[in-house]
Amino acid sequence: MSTQTLDGFPKSVAASDLADGSVTLTVDAGLYPLEAVYGAAYIFIDRCFVLLDRPAAGSIAVTLADKKGAADGDALRRLAGEFANELLTQAWRQKIVEENRVVLELVTTQALAGATARAAAPAEPSLDDLASFDFTEEAFDDPLGIAMSWEEKYKKKTPVEAASEAAAPAVVAPEAK
Amino acid sequence: MIERRFHRELYPPAAVDGALKVFERFATFELADEGDYRVVRISAKRPERELKVARELGNYALGLTRQGGLS
Repeated sequence: MSTQTLDGFPKSVAASDLADGSVTLTVDAGLYPLEAVYGAAYIFIDRCFVLLDRPAAGSIAVTLADKKGAADGDALRRLAGEFANELLTQAWRQKIVEENRVVLELVTTQALAGATARAAAPAEPSLDDLASFDFTEEAFDDPLGIAMSWEEKYKKKTPVEAASEAAAPAVVAPEAK
Repeated sequence: MIERRFHRELYPPAAVDGALKVFERFATFELADEGDYRVVRISAKRPERELKVARELGNYALGLTRQGGLS
């Protein structure tokens, strides 16, 4: 195995193996949590072969090999850089989740509590209740005929009905004035 | 023969076993426990195939670790 350092990376952090077509980054587990390393590695498995290792306590080694076989120094350097960026993104995302965990739990608890309260509210009337309900009772006065159906209100009147309506004092709708 | 070493703290045994089950028809595997590692030795008809299976096995085990909440 012939490892070489990568331009722009400290020797202890990244090394490439041109024969194997791979690059290995050694990550400080104190800086980047394991979940962040998993997240970044998982994002890369569609384009790289990824292998994780723990060379020493407190560090994680990530070996990336391009699936298309890009093995020149520039390609490996680019790969290492993209992984390092993704690792930082994942670590930052992890930190945001940790900081907002209390808020997330609070919102979830309130949503669940609201759903539970609705479930505990009095139930709607059953079919038996509706069957025994007295609908004959006059609920309210309706002098303008608002509660009347269209057919009932505008049906063709017989001459007798028309004459009796003309004799009675008419109730005029406001828009007709 | 190619060897792949999966650290127990990074790859749960269930993830490695699951990956081995998927790839068992493509190569022959020998499994051994060596300290903190589960070591998989891969044999196939051609060296290129061994390398390919070894690399795909690593990806699959990582995928199971991440997706299955095994970590």
